[in-house]
Amino acid sequence: MNDGSLNYIVGEERRLADLLGEKEMRPLLQGAVAAGAARAALLDDAGEVLWAEGAGGGCTAAMPLCLEGEPVGTLQVAGEEAARDRLAGTVRFLHAAVSALVTANLKRMLTVETHTSVVNLTYDELLETNRRLAASEREYRELAEQLELRVAERTEELRRAHARLLQQEKMASVGQLAAGIAHEVNNPLGFITSNLTTLGRYVSRLMEMLDWHGAAIAADPELSARAAVRGRELKLDLIRGDMGELLSQSLAGAERVKKIVADLRGFSHIDDPVEGLVELNGELERTLEVMARQIPPGTEVRRRFGTIPLVRGNAALLCQLFAGIVQNAIQARAEGLVLEIRTEETDGRVRVAIGDNGPGIPPDLRSRVFDPFFTTRSVGDGTGMGLTVAYDIVTAMGGAIEAGEAAGGGALITVALPPAE
Amino acid sequence: MIEYDEREKRMVVKLVYYGPAQSGKTTNLLQLHERLPRQGRGDLMVLDTTDDRTIFFDLLPFFLTAPSGLKVKVKVYTVPGQVKHDATRKAVLQRADGVVFVADSQKREAANNLASFENLEENLALVGLDIDRLPLVVQFNKRDLADIVAEEAIRRTWGATRIPVLLASALQGQGVEETFERLLLSVYDSLDVRCRLGEAHGLTRDAFVAQLTAREGI
Repeated sequence: MNDGSLNYIVGEERRLADLLGEKEMRPLLQGAVAAGAARAALLDDAGEVLWAEGAGGGCTAAMPLCLEGEPVGTLQVAGEEAARDRLAGTVRFLHAAVSALVTANLKRMLTVETHTSVVNLTYDELLETNRRLAASEREYRELAEQLELRVAERTEELRRAHARLLQQEKMASVGQLAAGIAHEVNNPLGFITSNLTTLGRYVSRLMEMLDWHGAAIAADPELSARAAVRGRELKLDLIRGDMGELLSQSLAGAERVKKIVADLRGFSHIDDPVEGLVELNGELERTLEVMARQIPPGTEVRRRFGTIPLVRGNAALLCQLFAGIVQNAIQARAEGLVLEIRTEETDGRVRVAIGDNGPGIPPDLRSRVFDPFFTTRSVGDGTGMGLTVAYDIVTAMGGAIEAGEAAGGGALITVALPPAE
Repeated sequence: MIEYDEREKRMVVKLVYYGPAQSGKTTNLLQLHERLPRQGRGDLMVLDTTDDRTIFFDLLPFFLTAPSGLKVKVKVYTVPGQVKHDATRKAVLQRADGVVFVADSQKREAANNLASFENLEENLALVGLDIDRLPLVVQFNKRDLADIVAEEAIRRTWGATRIPVLLASALQGQGVEETFERLLLSVYDSLDVRCRLGEAHGLTRDAFVAQLTAREGI
């Protein structure tokens, strides 16, 4: 409430001069003079003349003028002694007129003043109400905006959490699968390798025995000739030549299976603690090896590995992260892919930059590629999870990931991680 | 108080008849005007009305002179009762020295009475008057009508407040003077504390009331 708007007080005292004006009084007094008075005047409560018309007159007739019941002035009419009666009538007439005028003016003044003050007060109150409404509307709007923002934030969080969960489950099943395969494959692989080695030894003994038999029957030319014919029929020379290679190839194959299983185990880091010190160059190498069969032939992989400190984190997740980025590069260009992987330490950060010579990421999409389910590929080809997961892994490690442009216009994903202390 | 000038020996006091629309505030003043002798009061001034409903206010002035020569003018006002004229009510209530709350006794008016009384409390606070110290009289008007709140119920409700409650039928002229007198008694006490009416001006409580109601007193 504005105090200023309540400064009008009904009931303040009025003086006669406030209520009557020259323009109203003058004609009335003139009328009295015209009616035969020599002089007509209105005096205030102190006897001072407020207005007067005419002059002279020996005989005076007077009547008090009241305001709100109180005498506030006097009406005087003067004239000749002979006109005394007429003067009395004139002053009564004048009194009636002025009294009515005073009352009417007082009412009008009170009405106007009250009305004005009410209008002002009402206007002030309306302004105040309007101000309060505007303020509360603003508050609500802000609240609504914040609410939308909060909802958007929470939705984003939930989408990320959901994506992370999906990825972790995928990782867990890959890890379990890898562990299962390793176990199942390693046992038979063990005896295959062992048996192959033993078989090689046995074969060389058999060969040695064959040579001995050959030497023993050399004295009997007929037997020798028959043995030679039989040997040719059985293609023994070919077998002897092929045997060693067959065995060494089988052994090499078994070794390779063993290595793949070991890589798979390593890649999934099923055996590692969740978090630890990670050597990024090694993990990149491991990732490339696991992905070797996915990388199309003719791809040039440029390793620009610098000397970088260890970082603290989850090696399995980092492998997953790099695999995702490499996967994107592979999908970006099928033939003549050039993959450049650079590691370095700058500005106190360990940076891994993986660039390709594909079509690149349009600038307006670079900020969105880390959003969950964002994908440029057709439905079914990509999950839209790769870079989202990458983003979460990196930010969880206190690092940053950004999408940019490689030297040749291809995509460049840069991961910056804090070195382990 | 509207005015108090010790050197000029002049005091202008303001009393207000408050209450819901059409509870009989103007009728109270009309009756006072009619019933109290002409001596000691001025004429009733009724500002413009619409359909007999006050939109501004009515004024009935009373006069007395204390033995000390102090001229006391008591201006009695009504407020417009209709809810929409709240701003006018505030302007009239400003600097009031006493309030008569005219309630409508009809049962169906109970809610309006309550709303109007709450409005009085609110507006008194707004114009800086303390309802616990301001002389206040409640008049339950229209006792001559049917379907009115029982006197017992009124006493029960208002008994605890220590606000004097009077019954009236203003149209019949019953209880109007009594209400006015009851208010004047409280107003005298309040003025006496502030302006030492008795001690400095030789004006007793009885003389104050008697002069204003133009009964033989002094």
